[in-house]
Amino acid sequence: MTFTKSEQSDLLDCLLRLGDLLLDAGAEISRAEDTLSRMGAAYGAMRTDVFVITSMISMTMEFPNCEAVTETRRIRSDGQPDFYRLEKLNHLSRSCCAAPLPLQELHEALDGIAAGKKPFSAKLIGSVLAAGAFAVFFGGTVPDALVSAVFAVAICLLQERLSRTDVKPVGENLIISLLIGLGVGIVTALVGSLHMDMILIGDIMLLIPGLAMTNAVRNMLVGNTISGVVRLAESLMWAAALAGGIMVALTIVNYLH
Amino acid sequence: MSILIQLLTAFLGSLGFALLFGVRKRHLLPAALGGMLSWGVYLAMDLWLGMNFLSCLAASVFAVGYAELMARVRKIPALLLTVPAIIPLVPGATLYYAMSEAVHGDLAQARAFGSQTLVSALAIAGGISFAIVFRELQTKR
Repeated sequence: MTFTKSEQSDLLDCLLRLGDLLLDAGAEISRAEDTLSRMGAAYGAMRTDVFVITSMISMTMEFPNCEAVTETRRIRSDGQPDFYRLEKLNHLSRSCCAAPLPLQELHEALDGIAAGKKPFSAKLIGSVLAAGAFAVFFGGTVPDALVSAVFAVAICLLQERLSRTDVKPVGENLIISLLIGLGVGIVTALVGSLHMDMILIGDIMLLIPGLAMTNAVRNMLVGNTISGVVRLAESLMWAAALAGGIMVALTIVNYLH
Repeated sequence: MSILIQLLTAFLGSLGFALLFGVRKRHLLPAALGGMLSWGVYLAMDLWLGMNFLSCLAASVFAVGYAELMARVRKIPALLLTVPAIIPLVPGATLYYAMSEAVHGDLAQARAFGSQTLVSALAIAGGISFAIVFRELQTKR
């Protein structure tokens, strides 16, 4: 496959978009770098240099008898992984590396993936199930699980509402954990047989940045130290915000008792 | 009985997380099974050794190994299965009790729960590193 100069930059644009979508879906740094390098090679570049950190992708491709083309892209991910998209992107890049799609089709395929998010209903059902199950897992009763599940719905709706504002993940965790802590505190004060700790633990499991931390450790272990450190610092801040919100809520609830 | 309930809720909890992150229907069962099995490994190790760190480490090695293997069979990114498999090991309860004891003014208890949380987190990280090194040994250049 040979490309004109403008097609080369078009291709680079496509690949950066692929990288952007990958990171936004929650892919590890090494996966993004690996995918982009392979795609570059599949489209006939002699040499592809990719550097990815959590907030930026820089990519240079060299084609035979041409000057190298370079572009960078700033990445803003909301920290909400979307494995539905990740799987589709993975499938697309696998098939593309085996048999490169024409540029126009690659554009369309990426448009299609960008348009389809994971369904909100799956997120809702998943949160309800996870919060309820973990309330019992850590020693709660069935009524505790039900209350925890109801508050999981509240968490989902709050996250959805806050994602339309300029609130960053730290603020989001702080606000949500404070409100959930207060809500659970009030409900358990009214109904004596419920266990506040079990209910809150079920809901906290939804808010703990477990994936971000796992990814941070992974990144560092495979040599992407910068991204690993950044992610770890970020997720520790999110966890601190979560703790801050819960602790303020507990203090207020304590005072009311 | 309590063990059965824990395994069942670990299954449901991991299933919930898999759904929540957008894992597709056809991969939900292996994702949820991963969580249940890794909790099973934790319980078995805990019964045998009675040490939280080692049990958590073993369970985390198992979780990542299971996810890598199943992901390869199903040709999907391992991350899709790693996260649900590790979720039951995440120390949500001890983190909560650390916060709650700190608010109630019992700092010694808060510190004890806090370090337990840290130990579990380190064990999970350690388990991931073992599994990753193993994968790197397998991959030929």
